[in-house]
Amino acid sequence: MPAPILSLTDAALSLMGNAGRVDILSGITLDVVQGETLGLVGPSGSGKSSLLMLMGGLEQATGGTVTALGQDLTAMDEDGLARFRRDNMGVVFQSFHLIPTMTALENVATPLELAGHHDAFTRAAAELETVGLANRADHYPAQLSGGEQQRVALARASAPRPKILLADEPTGNLDEANGSAIIDLLFGLRDRHGATLIMVTHADDLARRCDRIVRLRDGRIDMASAGAITGATAKAAE
Amino acid sequence: MSLAISARFARRELRGGLRGFRIFLACLALGVAAIAAVGTVRAGIEAGLTRNGAALLGGDAEIELTYRYASDAELAFMNQIADRVSETVDFRSMVVVTRGEDTERGLTQVRAVDDLYPLIGAVTLAPDMPLAKAFKGAKGLPGAVIEQALADRLALQPGDTFRLGTQDFILSAILATYPDNGTGGFGLGPRSLVLTRDLANSGLITEGTLFSTNYRLDLPQGADLAGLKTKAETQFRDSGLRWHDSRRGAGGAQSFVDRIGAFLILVGLSGLAVGGVGVSAAVRAYLASKTGVIATLKTLGATRRIIFQTYFIQIGVLTVIGITLGLILGSALPLLFAPLIAASLPIPTEFTLYPAPLVEAALYGTLAALIFTLWPLARTEDIRAATLFRDAFATSRRLPALRYLIATAALIAALIGAAIWLTGTAFLTLWMAGGITGALVILTLAALLIRAFARAGRTAARGRPALRLALGAIGARGGESTSVVLSLGLGLAVLAAVGQIDGNLRTAFADELPAIAPSYFFVDIQPDQIDGFKARLAADPAVTRTEAAPMLRGVITRINGRPAEEVAGGSWVLHGDRGVTYADAMPPNTAITEGKWWPENYDGPPLLSFSDEEAREIGLKIGDTVTVNILGRDITATIASFRQVNFESAGIGFVMAMNAAALQGAPHTWIATVYADQAAEGRILRDLANAYPNITAIAIRDAITQVADLVAGIAAGVRYGALATLLTGFLVLIGAAAAGEQVRTYEAAVLKTLGATRGRILYSFALRAALLGAGAGIVALGAGMLGGWAVTTYIMENTYKIIWGNALWIVLGGIIATMLAGLGFALRSLNAKPAQVLRGRE
Repeated sequence: MPAPILSLTDAALSLMGNAGRVDILSGITLDVVQGETLGLVGPSGSGKSSLLMLMGGLEQATGGTVTALGQDLTAMDEDGLARFRRDNMGVVFQSFHLIPTMTALENVATPLELAGHHDAFTRAAAELETVGLANRADHYPAQLSGGEQQRVALARASAPRPKILLADEPTGNLDEANGSAIIDLLFGLRDRHGATLIMVTHADDLARRCDRIVRLRDGRIDMASAGAITGATAKAAE
Repeated sequence: MSLAISARFARRELRGGLRGFRIFLACLALGVAAIAAVGTVRAGIEAGLTRNGAALLGGDAEIELTYRYASDAELAFMNQIADRVSETVDFRSMVVVTRGEDTERGLTQVRAVDDLYPLIGAVTLAPDMPLAKAFKGAKGLPGAVIEQALADRLALQPGDTFRLGTQDFILSAILATYPDNGTGGFGLGPRSLVLTRDLANSGLITEGTLFSTNYRLDLPQGADLAGLKTKAETQFRDSGLRWHDSRRGAGGAQSFVDRIGAFLILVGLSGLAVGGVGVSAAVRAYLASKTGVIATLKTLGATRRIIFQTYFIQIGVLTVIGITLGLILGSALPLLFAPLIAASLPIPTEFTLYPAPLVEAALYGTLAALIFTLWPLARTEDIRAATLFRDAFATSRRLPALRYLIATAALIAALIGAAIWLTGTAFLTLWMAGGITGALVILTLAALLIRAFARAGRTAARGRPALRLALGAIGARGGESTSVVLSLGLGLAVLAAVGQIDGNLRTAFADELPAIAPSYFFVDIQPDQIDGFKARLAADPAVTRTEAAPMLRGVITRINGRPAEEVAGGSWVLHGDRGVTYADAMPPNTAITEGKWWPENYDGPPLLSFSDEEAREIGLKIGDTVTVNILGRDITATIASFRQVNFESAGIGFVMAMNAAALQGAPHTWIATVYADQAAEGRILRDLANAYPNITAIAIRDAITQVADLVAGIAAGVRYGALATLLTGFLVLIGAAAAGEQVRTYEAAVLKTLGATRGRILYSFALRAALLGAGAGIVALGAGMLGGWAVTTYIMENTYKIIWGNALWIVLGGIIATMLAGLGFALRSLNAKPAQVLRGRE
């Protein structure tokens, strides 16, 4: 069994709201191995996106530990987490989250620049070409369709070749055709670069494309799903 | 019907409170408050001046004559219309104090009075005593009182003796206040009061001496001042007589207050224009946040009219609140600071609540609010239900419908018209309106240019993400760049222009003028003294140059037989009396520009050589006749030539020179300028003053310092006005920064997700603010320098030099202001948790 690239032990997340403390996640223990694709599913409000945020260090666990690539994310400060993401992670959101004042090319180049790559723009242009948007490089997000914006976001996430790719309902804001194209691209990029992919989704057929599915209910892992091997993994094992 | 529905909708929307309108209210309230405060202070000063008109004048009315006493006919007229007539004589002289070997001299403005003085009002002395007692003197010497400044300068105490001309006086007391000091205007020396009869042996007031006489009239109750003025001016037409009365008792001060007040209100209007940028931005942001509501209302069947009215009513309610706040602030501040303001002014004031300036401020506020909110409001009509989920405001670039453009133009015309009507200065208002419009256009273009540069610079900034991000934000459409450049630019441009003009003026006064100006002006040199005076100076090796000329003063009363005021009333040459000289042969260094100098020993009808520039201003031609009243006598001379006169070098410059035969028989004195080594100036003055006690020396360096101080005072006033504009601009900046906070928070969250540290993000935000502030500062500096150059070159007719200290501060000011406003709002953006921010957008 290879060492886990991402490991959560009894991780919890509680937030203080106006009405008092709200437990979002509790008792999350989960290992993700290198190269694995993991689907996080569950009903609305079950804590899927929060768990993904915890894994990406975008949310700090209020209990337990979260370890990524052997480093304890709960012990890092905000800037430490930012640097860690810069060097190791790519995130794709449902609402794309492109920077509106930057062109598509500039959006893709930004994480590469932050990492100090001198060839940031050359690599960004190549990445845009991979997602089929070479001709839209100088367009601003507002000038792109939803599908195109998500493709730029995908290119931005994969450009620095992260070891871990986190995707939060990447097709949630897209129609079926665009959604399917984005998923093909996402899995294609993951296959090509060998990253670990963790994806939150509502769609069962989409989840089934992952090696493993983890189901969440009321902020906890539905134990029945833990360790469940999907058809994709079984097929790969054969 | 639709209005009632709109009002209902508006009320529902306003239930949410005024939270998003703080900057809107602050900008409007501050602009209105500034104008209301200036208007209230002006009204308070004017009320004080009007109520105390008689005391300020020293009588119900006054007749002023130059270099002569009233004729018998004039005296008879005055005694006929007045119950009492008091005569005062005003002139400059030197107070001389001798202590053993040392002699000290101080220039003073002497007012020689009669026993009736002061006819109205009271003189207060320290130590307290009646004026008559002070004039009695002691030890066989007549008494005098002088102002504290002169006593300090000459180290005089009550009981000490000093000399005026050849007459000794004993200083009885210090002159603390006196009633008729509102008309004096600009005096070169502190005041001294003596009895006229005590000057009989002083050798000071003789024929040709430079003095003026003032006859104060105590008129019967209810006298018709306007009628008496007309009567006096008709009966003594062309006599050089000038009438003042208590309706404008402090004429000079009143005009000054009027002009400064009008100017500051116009500066206040420029503040309102800057505030308008903030008001407009606030309305835009509010309506952008309401896009969904508007689209939904349209989906439900609301017409464009209902939508427009709904938001017009809301903005109207907010405008009323903003103006009311402004009026409360603008009227309360002057009342609060009334004791301070009154103490710092040499004239009486009456601060209370005056409705007129408040109505004026409210009118300006309403018009400005309408002008700046109409366009964004008009855009509500363009929002379609289909654009519910699009950023309609950021992408729509269409102009509003024609009727809104026409309405905006009409409102601007109404605002300018109101300003012209209420300030009474069409010239200044139109220039100011042109200046503000021009500045706003330049700044808008500059903002576009800055954005274009920023976009172009992003390619060069590749590999430096902080810089590229900053440039991206500056260059972005719908970002805060235009607001920042507009709001900060106008205030900084005014400050830059004032700084450049003031700096150039200071350089001229402090460095250039003393280098080319003479050391002393000597006036009141009697004709029998001039040869000896010149001989002494010629023998002195420290004297480099001496110029002397006979001098008379005259009022131009007619041009080609027509009253001069009718021909060219606006020219400064026609206001008051002007110096007139005479010469037989053409003086050396005279540059004739047109016509010919008269032949030597010319003895025909009077001929005149006129200053070229002033002649052209009045519209004079060679051969025209000019009638000059000198010492009550009219002399009509024909213009024989125009010549160049340089008034800027502070040397002798006469607007008019006549042939010698025309004037040399008239009583007159000589004026002389002496150019000497600075080290020898004191010795020369002592020598000449001992030899000729009646002559008055004016040290040019002192006079220049005094003028420079006066200019600095006016510049300070304007600077305060510009600072008010800048403060409004800063509020707009804060508004822009606050409006951009959400965008910055989002940017910070995305950048953190991509791996940027907080330090890096903060650096990028700071860089953005610094670049934008520097851009606004440089544009403002450019506009200010252009203004400074134009005023220095064309109005002051001086060589323009860049004042680098001021320039640096303007650019630094732009950077600091933008960084303060921008970074003040950056911290919350930096500290926001990315997960929450991004999830909020899902």
